[in-house]
Amino acid sequence: MQIYNDYKDHADFLTVYIREAHPTDEWRMKSNEKEKDNVCYAQPKTLEQRIAIANDFTQRFKFPLPFGIDEMSNAANDAYAAWPERLYVVDENGRISYKGGNGPFKYDPKEVQAWLAKRYGEVKHAEKAPEKKS
Amino acid sequence: MNRILLWTAISVGGLLVLTYVGLSIMAGGPKDAIEMVRFALPHMHLGTLKVGDSAPDARLVALDGATRFQIRERAQGRPLVLVFGSFT
Repeated sequence: MQIYNDYKDHADFLTVYIREAHPTDEWRMKSNEKEKDNVCYAQPKTLEQRIAIANDFTQRFKFPLPFGIDEMSNAANDAYAAWPERLYVVDENGRISYKGGNGPFKYDPKEVQAWLAKRYGEVKHAEKAPEKKS
Repeated sequence: MNRILLWTAISVGGLLVLTYVGLSIMAGGPKDAIEMVRFALPHMHLGTLKVGDSAPDARLVALDGATRFQIRERAQGRPLVLVFGSFT
């Protein structure tokens, strides 16, 4: 989110919602069932189900990035070998300029940030003042 | 001969146990290891795209459920950061 806010005037961003990573009917994660998160969905079988989950996600988190949903053929996912999560940067000429690793272990937004910083300069943020102990 | 077979079986068994323990640690538990092998590994691919390749195009659906657009349409003469993922 921070990277988007820092560089949206220089680069375009697109989030692509692909097949679920930890649906309740496949590799279920207990952490998704915590009341705070409550992210419990079965793997969508129809495009309508995918659209509903994508809307829940963007509304719950007030997600600001432009958003697209992969069709049930998983064409975008297959073309980019994206599952479960992955980052790319496509340059102005339509060529892959950065290819991130497969998530979660090799998913590293800092590499995208570094790519953008190299091109457009680093964005500095004021450090938060430490909280005073009462 | 029987001795060789026995040690081969022990070695293979030991390797399987070590692999299972390793996967369990990586996935978060014994049950997760099985589900990871069953549900995650078949969908996880390194992919053949390389830096410098032409970015593939694909049709996406907008949040309104009606609008369709191509990934490449979203690159407006500037770099395009693609963020692939899901909710869970």
